[in-house]
Amino acid sequence: MEPWVVATSLIFVYLLATIVIGVLANKRLTVNMEDFLLYGRQAGFLVLYLTVVATFHSAFAFLGSGGFFYTHGIGFWAAGTWTVLVGAITYTLGTRIWALGKKFGYITPADMLADFYESETVRIVAAAVSVLFTILYIQVQAAGLGYILSVATGDRIPFGLATAILLVVAAAYLMAGGLRAVYWTDVIQGVWMYVAVWAGALVLVHKLFGGPVELWRRLAAERPDLLSLPGPEGFFTPGMWFGMTIALSFGIILQPHMMLRYYTAASARTLKLLGATTPLYLFTLFIPVAMVGLGGALVLPELAQPDRVFPELLFRYAPPWLTGLILAGATAAAMSTLDSILHSNMTVLTRDVYQRYVAKNRSQAHYVAFGRAVVLVLLAVGWYLSVAELDFLVEIVALSAAGALQLMPAVLGVCYPGRRLTTSAGAVAGIVGGVSVLYLTLNDFMPTPWGMHTAVFSLLVNFAVTIIVSRFTRPPSPETVERIHGEVETFVYGNPQRQTTGEGDGENGEHD
Amino acid sequence: MFRSHYLPRTWAGRLAAGAFLAGMALAQPPIVHGWANRIEPWILGMPFLFAYLLGAYLFMIGVLAWTARRGI
Repeated sequence: MEPWVVATSLIFVYLLATIVIGVLANKRLTVNMEDFLLYGRQAGFLVLYLTVVATFHSAFAFLGSGGFFYTHGIGFWAAGTWTVLVGAITYTLGTRIWALGKKFGYITPADMLADFYESETVRIVAAAVSVLFTILYIQVQAAGLGYILSVATGDRIPFGLATAILLVVAAAYLMAGGLRAVYWTDVIQGVWMYVAVWAGALVLVHKLFGGPVELWRRLAAERPDLLSLPGPEGFFTPGMWFGMTIALSFGIILQPHMMLRYYTAASARTLKLLGATTPLYLFTLFIPVAMVGLGGALVLPELAQPDRVFPELLFRYAPPWLTGLILAGATAAAMSTLDSILHSNMTVLTRDVYQRYVAKNRSQAHYVAFGRAVVLVLLAVGWYLSVAELDFLVEIVALSAAGALQLMPAVLGVCYPGRRLTTSAGAVAGIVGGVSVLYLTLNDFMPTPWGMHTAVFSLLVNFAVTIIVSRFTRPPSPETVERIHGEVETFVYGNPQRQTTGEGDGENGEHD
Repeated sequence: MFRSHYLPRTWAGRLAAGAFLAGMALAQPPIVHGWANRIEPWILGMPFLFAYLLGAYLFMIGVLAWTARRGI
């Protein structure tokens, strides 16, 4: 049997399995928004663990990061910094978001922000940022999926059709089973992708070099430029290293598909365990990817598209069944992120826009049906964006993360009681300022000072604007501050006799 | 008296936060672009920078695990 037939068959077996899971999830579904959108806030450790890691790692982990090691060398090992930081953020910030969501029934990130800042403008701005920047992420995942399937079939299924097939499958099980289907498929996807990457890398490294030790030795002898910073093309400067650490940790956590996962945890203890243990999965996935990318630079030094290094090596040097298993793993990586983004955008548009402004006080079944219709629209948008062309994946991810990063001052203002309160005007001005600077710097209308990463620079501007505007504008009411910051205080420190606000200063009026 | 949530309040909390931040500083510039930026083989043939960062990451995960175990 030809290799492409084996590889394609295994991918389709995997797709069939996800649809079966979607149908099974549908049988457990109750017509209720919390169940459809938030898994009924019942996710236990194992399910949540695998959905978080599978959602965090996407097509980018298989393709983009391999390409980065291939081109820029060991600098991409910086990935460990942001994946470890994700654990710490989950532990500290994620548990607070969970506590507030459980207490006050929040479904979306904008629910929390609008409640604290007592502002519908904050809701709209937060929802717009959430949707706008994660649509870019849909494009990345959809394009990655189409690319994987078209490579697996040797271009017998063209890229556009391959993208459409995989988008339809993801949308089908999401519409059938809601977030439960997403979580259940993520369990398979999380295991499959991890095993696949390690298996593929070890087979390739042993076949091509006789083992990792010899790989490292040859790299040191033949391509020492790949083993030091800032890399052959000078990409991993100190500013880039630090910027990627911030953008790809806080930026990804603040994307709605990650934040929503915090709401779904069964308990705070689950989330703390998650924070302490997920980094181990997240960063060790880059060890085999590094071996593949760096090894590929030795074996296939003239690749036109570095993103192709993993599949190219597989097709040339691995047995067909293993290639199929691994490409199905890559499909799993992309689909597990894609379905989560489709779900989060569906949730934001249904909850923050449709239910709030278009059709209030309808039945739960009505909103669930509307959510399913939104998935179809997102599917079409994602397909349209993805067939344009396949860009270098990681750069798009960084842009997407940098956009979501702009919610950080507003979120911290809710979850971390400080000496001074953030106001709704401050939060909105900060987000608008940060996004504007992001746009200007990314399009070279404005330089970033001192070699700073554009995500970090825009975030600093955001913080500065938020703080300054908050000094001169009206804060949330004392009752709201006491209710929400009081809940955070009680949750974190268990102290009912709390004083949760800082120093007062007249009209700006922090409440003593 | 108002107490900020940005600063740990207990000895264990201060230790955990300090250790994690120290670990993160070890995995950031200028250390990674300076002292640690070396290619000679170290553990299992891995280049020094790669092995050094692996150690730093495992240390930070260890801090998180200790924090969870202490219930901080």
